[in-house]
Amino acid sequence: MTVPSLPTRVALVGCGAVAELSYAPALRVLSAEGLLEVGALVDPNPESSRRLETAFPEARVHRDANALSGGTVDLAIVASPPRFHAEQTIRLLRQGISVLCEKPMAATSIEAESMIAASVAAKRTLAVGLVRRFLPAAQTIRAFLAQGVLGDLQDFHCTEGGRFRWPTRSADYFQRGASNGGVLADIGTHLLDLIVWWLGEPTDVRYEDDAMGGVELNCRAELRFPEGFQGTVRLSRDCDLPSRCFIRGTKGWLLWSIGEPEHLTLHFEGTAWVVSGRLHELPAVSSQPGAGRRVANFEQSFVEQLRNVVASVRGEEQPFVGGQEALAAVRLVEHCYRHRTLIPMGWLNEREEARAETLSREGTAR
Amino acid sequence: MRVAVLGASGFIGSRLVEMFHLEGIAEVRPIARRVSSLAGPSRFRLDCRIADAFDREALAAAFADCEIVVHAVAGAPSVILGTIAPVYEAAEKAGVRRLIYLSTASVHGQNPASGTTESSGLSVRQAIPYNNARVRAEGRLGRLRARGTVELVVLRPGIVFGPRSSWVSSFADSLIEGNAHLVDRGRGICNSLYVDNLIEAIRVAMSAPGADGEAFLLGDREQITWADLYRPIAAALGFDLESIGDAVSIPPDPVARGLLKRARRSPVARRLAAVLPKRARHALKSATSSLEDPRAELSSWTRPTPPRPIATLEMELLAKCRYKLPFDKATRVLGYEPLVSFDLACRRTVAWLRFAGYPVTDSSR
Repeated sequence: MTVPSLPTRVALVGCGAVAELSYAPALRVLSAEGLLEVGALVDPNPESSRRLETAFPEARVHRDANALSGGTVDLAIVASPPRFHAEQTIRLLRQGISVLCEKPMAATSIEAESMIAASVAAKRTLAVGLVRRFLPAAQTIRAFLAQGVLGDLQDFHCTEGGRFRWPTRSADYFQRGASNGGVLADIGTHLLDLIVWWLGEPTDVRYEDDAMGGVELNCRAELRFPEGFQGTVRLSRDCDLPSRCFIRGTKGWLLWSIGEPEHLTLHFEGTAWVVSGRLHELPAVSSQPGAGRRVANFEQSFVEQLRNVVASVRGEEQPFVGGQEALAAVRLVEHCYRHRTLIPMGWLNEREEARAETLSREGTAR
Repeated sequence: MRVAVLGASGFIGSRLVEMFHLEGIAEVRPIARRVSSLAGPSRFRLDCRIADAFDREALAAAFADCEIVVHAVAGAPSVILGTIAPVYEAAEKAGVRRLIYLSTASVHGQNPASGTTESSGLSVRQAIPYNNARVRAEGRLGRLRARGTVELVVLRPGIVFGPRSSWVSSFADSLIEGNAHLVDRGRGICNSLYVDNLIEAIRVAMSAPGADGEAFLLGDREQITWADLYRPIAAALGFDLESIGDAVSIPPDPVARGLLKRARRSPVARRLAAVLPKRARHALKSATSSLEDPRAELSSWTRPTPPRPIATLEMELLAKCRYKLPFDKATRVLGYEPLVSFDLACRRTVAWLRFAGYPVTDSSR
């Protein structure tokens, strides 16, 4: 494929909160660089698309993604509610349009595999919006683990949570059937993807949550790996959990506060200190050791994600997180929901516990 | 019976929704101000609604077909006062039978006089604006009831604690952060009310005859101190309460506190200090020394130590309390009995701490 001289033509499919707060600013940055132009906004709700029309006045507004064609659009960003991801992505790929699908990629692995197959058949890019892989700290952790910096891994504990404040405008977000799930499908997808990326796929997973007929607010997973180590993931839209990943090995441990993509904390056995440091790029002049520019923050990493996808559409790079890469997290989330049990809630009285068990089981069966 | 819960995502509202639904006490309808606040009640399959507590029309629609409305909205004085008329009038428009308003025992002050009951006089000149707002809110509701059709029951809970309570989580956080403190060694009486006991009071208040237009103080059965409340939390996290120091106390008058805090640093005071005799300057310094940030005295030759916390005005007043508020009127009229003992309440609270990710020690299981 030749490198097009014209900007990549982008359609934003779904104009809700993630489109407005995350994709729109990143698209404006790359649009100002001349790398892309937003030519279409798609949302069944005119009020939602209207919010983005001022940011992209040249874009045509459509109510349905069927109106898009490969002749006028190179890349569609699917940021619609998760239950539409698979259907819209497959249709867009068949229309000859590459897709960046916001996470979670799909509700089931069957859907995700169909999306990947559609991408292969159409010879178009399918990338998935797992932006945390672009965060400098996440990439550094992967490199440290690959090089055995911590020695043999012993255990890990990842927690993330706080009162849910994402400014969603749709109550669908919390309705079973309309959403793919609760906190696990939402931020859990990010975290499980990172864990698989860093550590490989677990062989045994135990999962519990507090959905009692609706979608979970809290969940906890225990994951065991073939090398013999294990770890926990605790997520909440309720409790103020420290948002961090702690990984311990025989040589030391590392701690990453998830909200700080530019920082890592490390401890090595045999020392009484921890290193709490800011990440920098390598120095511009390699003969002058030192810290170079500060690394990208979260927002800048989001732009880098989009830059990579555009480069992939142009045939210049491989997508950093393609559909196949994202499949493991989909499988893991699916496995968790299929084998879920009720998380212990020690403040409930006996009658409440009995009823909670019943509602939880009924929810799994549905 | 269908019950609308206004403030369903808050500490009390969320437990009310949970308990009413799981116990099958009523068909509960959570109402929240914004979509994101539905995350909590959405664990259940419920008919959740969005309505701003200032918006009469939205509230009336959300209250439709509900026999009872529980007003559990917390917030700033402007929220407390501004939501009273819209909620009452919307309830009237929707044909609600009874409104249960969650006020506070603090309408009698954080340090109520011995012998205080529901019939004691209330003041709107208290040092804490929250208390005054609740007193005014109760007054407004009483006037609305006098000319309206919706029955009104006002509940005045004491220190409500339990899962998700800020009394619990903030003390646990301060222990972990190393800045926990007591006031007067925690000897003051804490007019505690475990959240499930409050829910029980709401349950009986929904149908009790003779409760219309009345206010009810609510508490746990046991008389406990602040140290009693904090000790199990500290023990659960591996701390000994006796090793925790007292906060610095400064005068409870908020005006005096503010003035004293600013006094040492204000340009006027500095100019004044410059012309004062040496003895007068020392007197001023010693009078305000407890307000100084200890870090200001450090040099590079010493390692910094955390400053000693200053007690909030609210905690100062609460710590002085030597009176357990009675709940015999609630027992007599509503049939209220605190079903959960303080010991069990503490065990359940510690269970929540573990659930919420606090490092609870195994020995406290």
